[in-house]
This record gives sequence, structure tokens and C-alpha cells, in this order.
Amino acid sequence: MIKNYKELSIRELHNALVNKEITPLELTKLALEEAKNDNNNAIEYLMEKEALEMAASLTEPEKDNMFWGIPIAIKDNFSTKGVPTTGSSNILNGYVPVYDAQVVTLLKQKHAIPIAKVTLDELAMGGTGTSGHLGTTYNPYCKHKKRLMGGSSCGSAAFVTAGIVPFALGSDTGDSTRKPASYGGIVGFKPTWSRISRYGLFPFAPSLDTVGILTRSVEDASFALEVLAGHDEKDATSSFKEVDKYSEHLEDDIKDYKVAIIQEIFDSITNETIKKTFLESVKKLEDRGVKVGYVHMDNELLTSLFPTYFVISCAEATSNNANLDGIKFGPYHDGKTYQEVMANARTIGFSELIKRRFVFGSFALMKENQHDLFLRAQRNRRHIVEETNKILEQYDFIYLPAAPSVAPKIGEKSDRLSNEYLIADNHLVIGNFAGLPSISLPIGYEGHLPFDANISGRPFEESKLLNIANFIEKDTHLKGIYAKKEGE
Amino acid sequence: MEFEPVIGLEIHVELKTKSKMFSSAPSVYGKEPNTQIMPLDMAFPGTLPTVNKEAVIYAIRVSNALHMKIDNELHFDRKNYFYSDLPKGYQITQNLRPIGIDGYLTIDINGETRKIEIERLHIEEDTCKQIHFNDFTLLNYNRAGTPLVEIVSRPDMRNGLEAMKYVEKIRSIVVYSDVSDGKMEEGSLRCDVNISLREKGTTTFGTKVEIKNINSISYIQKAIDFEIERQTKLLLAGEKIAQETRRYDSDKNETILMRVKTDAVDYKYFPEDNILPIKLSDEFIKDAIASCPELMEDKLHRYKQDYHLSEYDASLLLANKDVSTYFDEVVKYTNNFKLAANWINVDVASYLNKNFIEINDFKLKAKDLADLINLIDKNEVNSNQARNIFSKMIEDDISAKEAKEKLGISSQISDVDFVKNLINEVFSENEDAIISYKEGKGRALGFLVGQVMKKSKGRVNPKLTTELVTEELERR
Amino acid sequence: MKEYNLEVLKDAANRLLFDMSDEEYQTLLNEFDIIVKQMNVIGENKKIDEYAPMTFPFDVYVTYLREDIAATPLSRDEALRNAQHKAGGQIKLPKVVQ
Repeated sequence: MIKNYKELSIRELHNALVNKEITPLELTKLALEEAKNDNNNAIEYLMEKEALEMAASLTEPEKDNMFWGIPIAIKDNFSTKGVPTTGSSNILNGYVPVYDAQVVTLLKQKHAIPIAKVTLDELAMGGTGTSGHLGTTYNPYCKHKKRLMGGSSCGSAAFVTAGIVPFALGSDTGDSTRKPASYGGIVGFKPTWSRISRYGLFPFAPSLDTVGILTRSVEDASFALEVLAGHDEKDATSSFKEVDKYSEHLEDDIKDYKVAIIQEIFDSITNETIKKTFLESVKKLEDRGVKVGYVHMDNELLTSLFPTYFVISCAEATSNNANLDGIKFGPYHDGKTYQEVMANARTIGFSELIKRRFVFGSFALMKENQHDLFLRAQRNRRHIVEETNKILEQYDFIYLPAAPSVAPKIGEKSDRLSNEYLIADNHLVIGNFAGLPSISLPIGYEGHLPFDANISGRPFEESKLLNIANFIEKDTHLKGIYAKKEGE
Repeated sequence: MEFEPVIGLEIHVELKTKSKMFSSAPSVYGKEPNTQIMPLDMAFPGTLPTVNKEAVIYAIRVSNALHMKIDNELHFDRKNYFYSDLPKGYQITQNLRPIGIDGYLTIDINGETRKIEIERLHIEEDTCKQIHFNDFTLLNYNRAGTPLVEIVSRPDMRNGLEAMKYVEKIRSIVVYSDVSDGKMEEGSLRCDVNISLREKGTTTFGTKVEIKNINSISYIQKAIDFEIERQTKLLLAGEKIAQETRRYDSDKNETILMRVKTDAVDYKYFPEDNILPIKLSDEFIKDAIASCPELMEDKLHRYKQDYHLSEYDASLLLANKDVSTYFDEVVKYTNNFKLAANWINVDVASYLNKNFIEINDFKLKAKDLADLINLIDKNEVNSNQARNIFSKMIEDDISAKEAKEKLGISSQISDVDFVKNLINEVFSENEDAIISYKEGKGRALGFLVGQVMKKSKGRVNPKLTTELVTEELERR
Repeated sequence: MKEYNLEVLKDAANRLLFDMSDEEYQTLLNEFDIIVKQMNVIGENKKIDEYAPMTFPFDVYVTYLREDIAATPLSRDEALRNAQHKAGGQIKLPKVVQ
């Protein structure tokens, strides 16, 4: 029997399973036990029965399949057949999907064992991990429940940060995988838009939505991508491009790579620990022969990231969630007319936060407003993407701190008009605008709280991105860290 | 004051693909409620649309038949609105770039050709079916997602007759191009009419009234003519036309107010973010057009030009596409086109009528009918015999040859030598008759022919026999 | 752009078939002020209208179309399992007045 499964990467767990040091059932029981003892409010639905059944059926180890018998968690905005899926919204209470998301199907085919559906900001529309219908999901690094996990993939991040599972499915529309990863000091990976099928992912803003991967090592992230990437005939946007053996390029030589640091984004960060740690990491890359250059992006363009994202995502979201009306699924509320029925379901079912976003998105789409709001945001998106692509013509990667701070205290207010907020707290959305593969990974601590850096590459160059991320990880020696409990 | 009606039509056509527009659920009419559904059709969260290739091919066929410019890229948009029959809360349609634009068709009005311009043809999806009861409504999602094309005319029509002819033409095109049943009664072709009146000689448009849900071609003309009269009366009385939606009540032959349009609905269109732009190669478009079966106009031309059928016969065949298809099949096996047309228009038609069946359910295979027609053509049977054979073929499900044998109808003999031998026998037995003939008594010819027929037990070809007897008489 | 005020926002919310508390509308108005101002700043860029609106992250075209083959549909039980208000194998609503 292995000592502490939480210390182990997917490869190490895999070896233990294949060598029969532990069985899938034993491992699943351990993970379920940890999940039950979790007090970070990260669970929507514990798949205890399903997981035990699945684990018990796994008797023949598959030595070429890294996910065989590995316990995983699934963000509750992925459709799971026969398992309640709410998107952490009251409007979907009691909803039991009739089909599996494509990524869930792929993971099941690999005999990974989903042990829990985990929390998110309501319908993934938030970045704090506080707006789901179960309330705030806490950061495992703060035992007193005083720190944010960040969102929207708060439950996935909390599960991986706490070490309960080595991998969780997330989603990323603005930074929903990569930001909470930073607050948990774990790996948060958003592959290229269209690289992974979105079939079964509850849509927030499909032009930005990407399936996200949360792990505790770059190698684990590469294993996950190998399973999840590829064309799916059920997702008309999913790419036909060939899928690499990402894990086989992790040790490639990186000395010819060129890395850009966007000066204005770096400058918008005030936290000296983060800046200093980041620059140390940059120095180590340079020591490995990587060329690093400082590039520029107009400050005004950078302060437009947030409003541009807000307008586009709210507009798409208001339409994507118009199917939620209590008629076909979700709680039905009676009324005298069908409009009343729908309005009752929606008034009761949605929190005020996302209603506000829907109203804004709808306003932006009105005929007389499109030019000044929706279309202007779409035009500005192109402006941002063109500027970004200019950088990526000269450089292979853009490297920056992932967030301006460690996990914020709950209730802490940020000045939403400051550059610190508008730029430093929102720059990851560039990756969504341009569809870039983008990965956050831990580079240091402030006090006992970890934080990440983020590196993004050109579309479909995940192999290169994971390759350099692997070396950043080597330099930081922070592979596999998790929030230990007292006494661990 | 004289008014000019300005009429434009929006026609929705359900495409008869095997699966739905954006999901692979079967698209079949008349199944048990809620049994033709994939997760997308009930808008289950996370489901995504994929575009049905056949539906695109069908849309191209119709666009081409309507002389439209065909876009070589497919773009879809969302039309956002809430309604009980709209599961997703939006409809996927083509707003900015319809697949077909700027087309026309021609109609014949009392021998004069009128050209009606068509603004656009776009692909979209149908809603779910609502069945209304006294105090509740039931929803059946089988229809949700059925492929549709919407064909929008320019406001080029001026009266009910033109509109009716226009719909007839559209109907014939979608039926003949094999993309739709085109049944107004079943809702596979639906027509909304926009109609306004303006003072003759002016070019500005009056207030538009919409008439929805007209479910038969003949009602289109009636509804429009009623509406023209209604609006004319109002205008002459100095009243204003309200912008409203009306429906046609066929029992009362009048249009009835459904709702007054307050402000124009804002559908908040934006590009469908789950479907990337799709390039259609020249080859794809070319193949789609080439795959289109012959349209009615072309068939009419062919029937008249190549088969020398009368306008009347040809039109009769073409009134039902399946009948014309049957005819096309028959003439693969016979060259007597006129006879084939007659048989189908008369004998086959009356059989179908009497037995309440459609041509597609008609037992007799086209080739078998052709065989029968060939027997008549070669004078092997006369038309009375042919009718008996026809009935027997259907009754016993047998070929023409078998039926003929079963009925004991022996083939007419057209062997010249055989007939001549018989003639010689008859002549030697009836010298008197030959003399009578020479004396100019015409009746003798008939008598002699009759004798030959009798001798052959009615098996020799009467026409041939008459010819040969005459010849022989002249020679003596 | 349309003027926005409490009435306009309430109307917009009601058209989306929900309502909010008065306090929320006030919060929303404040959010509108900020975002609209930021969008106006973007509009000050004289060249902004030269950029074509971008829907997808990169300009990709596909040629993929689904073959017209009908799949096995959901059973009626599955399709309606999540609907709470139904009758006779169909979803039931208050009478829809056309």
C-alpha cells in the first residue's frame, strides 16, 4: 500500500496501480474519504456509488493508459448521464442529464473514475467562486475559510489544490481555469480554442469557452490533453488538426525558444513578491538559453480588455441561457400563462448577479445598441488579437504573472477602475480572445500562499507550450504541491 | 381614389431530409409525440448544433431553381426570442448571409408572363408543435429542429391570383426538386402574406398587414382578395390601416385580427457562435445543382418537344409529380408516348381514383404497363382486350403476357404469307363475292375479310387482312 | 445607442422573462455607467470601425457537414424525464394564446 496518494502524480499513481501496490477500488475509497472530509464547500454531488462501482470493475491494469483507475473530479457544468448536473444554479436543481459530455465519455473510456461533480460560479459566470447556489467555495490553503478559491472552476481547483484528485475538469471563458489555479498554486491549462470538444459543456460564451485542465504537474496536464484533444463530430467547431503526443515533448530542448514579456501588463502589478519571483523564473529561463524580450502593448488597449470581455461574454451568455425556463428540465413553477411559467422559473432560478449580466448582454445586442456595444466589442477583440498575434510572430510565448496577488481574502474589495484590476487581473482573457493555449503553474509563495505564472503560445502549439512549462516547473521545484492538512 | 395592392410572401418549406437540421434525430412526420428527439432538440444544456449536409444540398437546389446567387460560404445567426414552442430560446437561422439571394420566378397570368423577384432564401429550423386544448397546451418536440428553407419574395405581386400562382410555382419547384412534400395541409409548406395598399402611381409603401397560417393554396387568393377589399374600404372611409397580424377564416371567407403589432420585435440577431463559417466548394454546389431532378417546366418542355404530347396531356401528367415520374418510367420501355400518356391519364387515373390510392402505391409496375401498351401498339390486342388485360394484371398481379394468355386472348397474326394462304382459300370458296366486288358492290370486301377472320378464328390482324384482301381483289 | 434608465433596464429584464429587486436594478445602473463609459473610450479610437467584428478566435473555415443519417432517438421516457409538468407523453403548459 502506498503512503500518501496525494503526494503522487498521475504517472506515479499509474505505476502504483499497474504494480498492484494499490487497486483502483482502494484508491477510489481513499479519494472519496478525502472528498467527504473536505470542508471547502466544493462538492455539488458526490459520485460515491458510481465511483465505487466503476472502480470495483477495474481488475486488469492497463499499462499504457495513464488514466486507468485514476480518481478525478468534474466541474458541474459538464453534462453527466444519470448524474445530477446543476451548473451550480438553482434553475437546474434536480436536472439529471440524459447524455455524457464528450470529455466525460473520453475519460470514462480511459477508465478514469469520476468521484464528484464539483462547484462553480453560477453557470460559470464569475471569477470568485462565491456565486454558486451552494455559496462560497473556500481555498484549502486557508483553514479558516477566509480566502477565495477563485472561479469559476472553484470546485475543481479546490479538489486539486487539496490533493483529493490529481486531475479535475474545468472550463475557461475568461480565465476560469487559470486564475483559480493561481490561487491554489496548481497547474491550470486552457488548450487552444476548438482543440477539445465542448459537446456537453454548458455554454457561457462559446466563442471564448474552452475545456480546462487542472492538475498538479505539467506532465499530468499533458496526459490529460492527450485524452481530451481531438475532433468530435458532435462539436462543429472542434478542430480536425492532428493530436500530438504531448507528453513525449516535455523534455525537448528549449534553448531556441523566444519568450515575450508584455511590459505594460507586468508594470500593472504592484505585488513585489510576485514580480520578484516571476523575474527569477525569467532569469532561469534565460540561463537555459531561452531568449527573453520585453514587448509593448498600448495601455489603453489593455484597459479595454475587461469591458470587451464583459460585453461579448454577457451577450453570448444571455442567449445561451435562454433555454433555461423550467419547462423541459429544472424546477417548474406554475403560472397563468406560459410567460409566467418561464418568468417564475427564471426569476427564482437565477441569482441577481447573473440576471444583471443577462440584462447587460441583451442590451448590448439590441439593434440600436449593437454598433456601440456588441459590434464595437467584437471589433476591439480583433484589435487585441491582431496586436497579440504581432507579438507571437516574433516570439513563441508570452510569459507573465498569472494574477496580481495571492488568493484574495473573501470580501476584499478591489478598485475596479484601477490598472491593477483592469489589466493585471484580467490579462489572461487575451488567451480566450485569441484562442491561445495558455497554462498557469506555480512559481512561488507569498507567506504560505502560492501563486502562479502564466505562459501562452500560438494556437495548436500545445507541445511547445507544455515543453517550456515543464522546464519552468523544474526551475521552481513546485511540482505536485498541495494544501496539506494539519499533521500531514 | 384608386389603390394598388403591394403583396410580398414569406414561404416556409419543410425539407424532407432523414435527420434534422442541426441534430441527427430522425425527421419523420406523424410519429408518436416526443419520440423523434435528440438532446439538442429539447435544448438540453451543452448540446451543440451540426449542419445537415443534405439540407444544404436541398437549399442549393431550390436557390438554383429560383435563379438565385448562391453563397459559397454558410453562415448562421441566432434569432433570439422567447416563445413556448422554441426550446432553445433562439432559432438558428441565416440573417446576414442567406444561402440564396436575388432570384426570381415567372408565372403565367392569362397567357402573359409575370416575373416575380425573390429577395432571399435562407436555411433555418422549425419549432416544436403545440396542440391547444381548452385550458392547456401540449408540446410535442418531434418537429423541433426540422430543416426549413424560408423563401422571401419582393413585394412584387398585385393581387390574389398572382400570389396564388406564385405559391403554386414555389410548390411545384420544391416538390419537383424532391426537397419537400410541399403539403400546405400538413404544414410542410407554410405561407405568410404581407399586404399593403398605396395610392396608384405612388412608390411609398402603406401600412403592412400580415396574414398568417393560410393552409391551402386556394385560400391564398381568397384571403388576399378579401384583405384588399377590406383595406380599400377602410382607406376610402378615411380610416387608417393598423399594423397587425390577421388570419384567414375559410368558413367565413374573411381575415380575422389576431394581434396588433405594437413595436417591431427586436430579435437581437448575432452570429451563431457554435458553428464556424463553412466553405462550400464550387464542386459541392455544382453537384448539388446537378443532383436536382428535372423541374416541372423542363419536363413540360420535354413532353411537348420530344414526346409530342399536347399541352393538355402533358399538364395532366405533371399535375402530380409522382404520376409524371411513373410516366417517365413507362416511356423507358415504350415509344408510343401518346398511348402511354392516355393510359396513365385515363385508365390508370380512374383506377387510382376508384380505389383511393396514390400512384406510388399502384401495384402495376411501369414496365408492365409499357408491355401492355406495346401489345396495343403492335396491334396484337385491341383496346377492349387491353382493358381486360389491364384489370387482370392488377387483379392477379401478373404480367401483360400472362394476363393475355389467362384471358385466352391469342395474339393477332400479322404473318403476310399465312394471311395470304387463308385469303386464297376463302377466294376459291367464294367466287360469287369476287364477282360482286368487280361489279362494284363494296359490301363484298367486308364479307371476304370477315370470312378470312372467321377462318383464322379471329386471330389475324384485321387491318393487315383488309389491306391484303383489297390488294388481292385488285390483282384478279 | 439607446438611452438607459431604470425603465429601460426593467423592460429589458422583463423581455428576458425575469425580474429583479429594485436594489439590483440600481446596482445594474451603476455597472452600466462603468461599462458604457469604457465602451465609449474604445469608440474614441478613430480606427475601431476599420476592424471587422470578430466572432471566432481565429479566422477558420471548415468544410465539415454532417451526413444526413438519422440516429436512434431518445426514448420518450428519457426525453421527458426532466420535465416536471407533463401529460400523456407531452409537456403541458397553461394554454398558449396565439
